[in-house]
Amino acid sequence: MAASMSSSCCLSSLRLIPFNRTFFSSVNPPSKNLILRPIPSFLRTIVTFQKIPTGIISPLSASSSPSSSLDLQPIEELPPKLQEIVKLFQSVQEPKAKYEQLLFYGKNLKPLDSRFKTRENKVEGCVSQVWVRAFFDEERNVVYEADSDSVLTKGLAALLVNGLSGRPVTEILRVTPDFAVLLGLQQSLTPSRNNGFLNMLKLMQKKALSLEVKAEEGTSESTMEEASVVEVGLDSEPPSVVEVEESESVSKIVALGSRGMRIREKLEKELNPVELEVEDVSYQHAGHAAVRGSAGADGETHFNLRVVSDAFQGKSLVKRHRMVYDLLQEELQSGLHALSIVAKTPAEV
Amino acid sequence: MEGVAMKLPSFKSLAPTAISVASTFSIRRSFSFARRSSSLSAATITADSEPVSLGHRARKDFRILHQEVNGSKLVYLDSAATSQKPAAVLEALQTYYEFYNSNVHRGIHYLSAKATDEFELARKKVARFINASDSREIVFTRNATEAINLVAYSWGLSNLKPGDEVILTVAEHHSCIVPWQIVSQKTGAVLKFVTLNEDETPDIDMLREMISEKTKLVAVHHVSNVLASSLPIEEIVVWAHEVGAKVLVDACQSVPHMVVDVQKLNADFLVASSHKMCGPTGIGFLYGKSDLLLAMPPFLGGGEMISDVFLDHSTYAEPPSRFEAGTPAIGEAIALGAACDYLSDIGMPKIHEYEVELAKYLYETLASVPDVRIYGPRPSESVQRAALCSFNVEGLHPTDLATFLDQQHGVAIRSGHHCAQPLHRYLGVNASARASLYFYNTKEDVDSFIVALADTVSFFNSFK
Repeated sequence: MAASMSSSCCLSSLRLIPFNRTFFSSVNPPSKNLILRPIPSFLRTIVTFQKIPTGIISPLSASSSPSSSLDLQPIEELPPKLQEIVKLFQSVQEPKAKYEQLLFYGKNLKPLDSRFKTRENKVEGCVSQVWVRAFFDEERNVVYEADSDSVLTKGLAALLVNGLSGRPVTEILRVTPDFAVLLGLQQSLTPSRNNGFLNMLKLMQKKALSLEVKAEEGTSESTMEEASVVEVGLDSEPPSVVEVEESESVSKIVALGSRGMRIREKLEKELNPVELEVEDVSYQHAGHAAVRGSAGADGETHFNLRVVSDAFQGKSLVKRHRMVYDLLQEELQSGLHALSIVAKTPAEV
Repeated sequence: MEGVAMKLPSFKSLAPTAISVASTFSIRRSFSFARRSSSLSAATITADSEPVSLGHRARKDFRILHQEVNGSKLVYLDSAATSQKPAAVLEALQTYYEFYNSNVHRGIHYLSAKATDEFELARKKVARFINASDSREIVFTRNATEAINLVAYSWGLSNLKPGDEVILTVAEHHSCIVPWQIVSQKTGAVLKFVTLNEDETPDIDMLREMISEKTKLVAVHHVSNVLASSLPIEEIVVWAHEVGAKVLVDACQSVPHMVVDVQKLNADFLVASSHKMCGPTGIGFLYGKSDLLLAMPPFLGGGEMISDVFLDHSTYAEPPSRFEAGTPAIGEAIALGAACDYLSDIGMPKIHEYEVELAKYLYETLASVPDVRIYGPRPSESVQRAALCSFNVEGLHPTDLATFLDQQHGVAIRSGHHCAQPLHRYLGVNASARASLYFYNTKEDVDSFIVALADTVSFFNSFK
């Protein structure tokens, strides 16, 4: 599944789901579905994206386990500044000196204004606090700023900021966490700290992706106005600070994919509703075996519907649900799995 | 006369000049059920005729302490998180599996009878360790957290009504907060929290005032895993019982380190984990007064805890079986029994006495390091701290501190919130570092720690 996804180079919906395993706790077989990619449990943000133009490879499907050095991403694929940093650390053998180098980077990191130390910018971790901010420069390269209350973590953040800032989104997304091994820092830093490092990288990649998505949406003709819910913090003019949506409010911020739009259109046309809410909650069900194999899997499989319409007058609950299902027959046969329906008449609201 | 390589129970009464056992890895493969773990004689003199501390003597029983990490000698100062296990405990576990592993309570055959005997003997040992009047008042659980959940779901759900109050402190471990949150949501009971006084100890006067007719349960720690303070459980029980409330004592940090007498405390429930008292992980226990346990409905359902099973209903066994569904951690329970033996052979009063001294030494040396802020009360005539210190160094994140201590000096401490987020929030910090000792630590361990700490602080300061 992941193979087919990455080969098509097209992400319709990227859903990152919290999973109770560290990123590299096991070698992930390539057949594993993109949706099920394990993520350390302390990365709680769930992000949903729209269809993205080709050329962007998901960072998750491209990465591999670092357990075998033969499988490490070659250093040449890294952004140039990151390559330099890796080589620098490789040349420093002694652990204490590596620390010194790390602290040196951290010390010279441009401080992050406290107004950017928000939840959306926080790398979730147990012990130290890390914030990362991302925005586009005039050439649509990603610029990062970061901070941490722990100097070692700040050093790691500085590494990433220095290595990735000023680069285009595609290059940033190609970076796999393998280079952490190349840095030789895994020996110097405790596993939990290393996971924080991986999480930082992932958050930075996610923010880069999100910047790209927002930029595309800002320029492309979309039916966004018809979306039933409002995007929080959306600023379609780059460069801007982009917040990554919080998981609690994801359902309100999900922009509908094509199926969602079709559902909307159908129901509007046929039921003439006073109120209509179409909510894509497919990410909540991404683990189902059925979802994985569903044809036309653009990932839009589960929806919450709220319909208030006169058309339901005098009909029993069962009949109302029947009505909705009948209207959406085509979708149900092409990959739509389940609908949670609230069907009321205007009087009942 | 040099010490014997293998100490057998029958030689225990040898003259006090017998030198303590150094070879802890002797393999004894006997079936004697009354076998006791290897012990340390009370007054051991080395060939130099200098008294050696309990820590030095005990270290020999713990092979894991004799290793290097990251190029330095390991200095293990994280016993509050989990303790190390002496060879005797490991042997007991190994022996169980090698010689008489069998399911308990149900079998007729020889091995099964042996396993059952040893398992129930372990229960008796635990009961004796905390001076419970009857071994049936000991319920084996996975750990203390499960034991608290057992009380919450079994006793709590059937006894708490809307408006009832459960009193906790802000310094409780998450395991003694979260189950009560869950249960109070289900029952409509209200949680009330005692805050700290200016000595950074839970405010006893506030606790006393909080107890009212509405109070149904007071669930508190005996010794705090962050503040190192202890609560006067006996008095708290008196106040609680006056209003008909029950008391649950989280004794995870007390049972391993001092004499805990449940009859003297008169607590209604008491919980502890094996892995903090030289026993293996995977086993802990709940002590509950007989009449309370008898009235409680089951927690988990399954085999062992039933009397008769029909398709549409079942009848339940008497406690403690009622609360021990499924095959228990048999080997672990037996090893816990061995841990109780090991500790009792040294003598809990002796362990406590040693630790009080070590605690004072730790506190004083740590406090003398500039910019160090230790949480909890200052030790004094009236206040005895446990042998642990949670602290912060000004301008240095505890995680950086712990990382450097580990990487450059082999010193193992803990950093984080120590499963006490509300307490850290109350103290106004995100995280703290914690060094915690056990009777196998020595003054030299503390010295190594302080030296390493000073080096760490100066390293990070040089980057400021």
